[in-house]
Amino acid sequence: MTEIVVEVKDLYYSYNSQPVLQGVNLKIRRGEIIAIMGENGAGKTTLIKHFNGLLKPKRGSVKVFGIDTRNASVAELSRKVGLVFQNPDHQLFAETVEKEVEFALRNFGFEEEVVKKRVEWALNLMGLAKYRNRSPFTLSVGERKRLAIASVLSYDPELIIFDEPTAGQDFLQKERIAELLNLLRTRGKTVIIVTHDVEFVATRFERVIVMSQGKIIGDGSFREILSNSEILEKARLLPPQIVKCAWLLSDIGVPRDTLYPEELVRKIEEVIRR
Amino acid sequence: MNYIFEGFKFKKKNTLIHDLDPRAKFIYLIMSFISALLFTEPIPLVIIFLTSLPLVIIAKTLKEWSRSMKSLSLFVTFIFILNLLSMTENRLNYAFSMVFRFLALTSAFSVFFLTTTPDDFMSALEEMGLPKEYTLMFTMSMRFVPTLARDLQIIVDAQKSRGLELEKGSLIKKVRNYVPILIPLIIYEIRRSIMIAEALEARAFGALRKTTSYTELKMGIRDYIFIFIVVFFFGMLIFLKIFGYLPEWMMIKLPEII
Repeated sequence: MTEIVVEVKDLYYSYNSQPVLQGVNLKIRRGEIIAIMGENGAGKTTLIKHFNGLLKPKRGSVKVFGIDTRNASVAELSRKVGLVFQNPDHQLFAETVEKEVEFALRNFGFEEEVVKKRVEWALNLMGLAKYRNRSPFTLSVGERKRLAIASVLSYDPELIIFDEPTAGQDFLQKERIAELLNLLRTRGKTVIIVTHDVEFVATRFERVIVMSQGKIIGDGSFREILSNSEILEKARLLPPQIVKCAWLLSDIGVPRDTLYPEELVRKIEEVIRR
Repeated sequence: MNYIFEGFKFKKKNTLIHDLDPRAKFIYLIMSFISALLFTEPIPLVIIFLTSLPLVIIAKTLKEWSRSMKSLSLFVTFIFILNLLSMTENRLNYAFSMVFRFLALTSAFSVFFLTTTPDDFMSALEEMGLPKEYTLMFTMSMRFVPTLARDLQIIVDAQKSRGLELEKGSLIKKVRNYVPILIPLIIYEIRRSIMIAEALEARAFGALRKTTSYTELKMGIRDYIFIFIVVFFFGMLIFLKIFGYLPEWMMIKLPEII
């Protein structure tokens, strides 16, 4: 049995007496790659802000790496939990790209040599090495997003959370993010992604959590969740195109939980041969 | 921090003060503004500060008002200490006066904005002949205060997530800790304002010199009575001050401290 990284018990949270989270229970194990989905205002961002202590539970508890978040500062938790915000413009401030990546490393008090190495590694990983002396504000939107990711990956957190990493990104950028996910998976990291992008989730995630009105309404393998019309409807998500196609073909015998293009073709062939 | 904003944010209520013409309330604002800046004696400044109290009570906004006054305590302490240290004579008297000048000003503003919608205020300014560009600038800045507060919160959260500890270090370090907060905020808001300007132009803002208005302001008998009382009261104070007729008790000074 692998180690439990995040344990949420009966979590309640409200902003100005407006309930946002209403009894969330969740366990996340080391090495899992998880997508959290749901409509706007379902409480996804509020939930992930509990994972590094930015928000403290009003009721219930959140334990991250065995530490109760109420007993630890954001800085302490951030050392192990990297949170990449949706909009890079909410965090970029340094004179150069290099200094931007150094920021977190210096906050955590790494040795000078380690800082240099880590900056180098993160910049190369995100394909930003050639911009190292440029101002972050002269970069394109996609590059700024990658810089924000690099600045978090640089200090090598165990759990990495991305808030809407694919929003406003073109196909190529999405592929890059997908590659990054694979890399993090092979390094044994735990990754959580908050997203609306059903197509992106469809091919890459083992576990999908669906939220609606402050509650978890679905938690399971992506095949279970993304082919469950009831959950998708409740969370106001459209099924991936291949699933939709399978649903339309279900009356001739194509199974409703078909997910991949190749799979769909095979099932259709089977039906035709019959 | 949010309490400060709350004390200046319009809340719809059905009271006499809310129903007054914005121009009448604007005259009150200007008059108390002028008198607060004119006086340096503590007692008249306390009186000017207290004039906002009946208005606050009639407008049923005592809760919001007192909250915002309480949240100003940091500024008040700052003003008090700064004046106490920088003056050479009459220090206590002066510091006390400056605190009440500050409170009188903010209190009048608080009453005005708690009871007047930004839209009403804008049309009042336009009626007084201010160009639309300037009135819009003002209402927009009011409108974007909560947005700014939200952006600030996100930026603080983002930098905290990168290990920034605002409260850590010496005084100089603490001030420098705010650099990673302020730079993204300023740049983000400049970008946003450029976008808003483009959106406004795309909707033909400024195409006509004179535009029509959806609501029309009308002064009633209540407004004239209110203006009369305000002008009489503050006019009297200003008159007494300018021509040197202030009664003795108004000029009492606080004792010198050693």
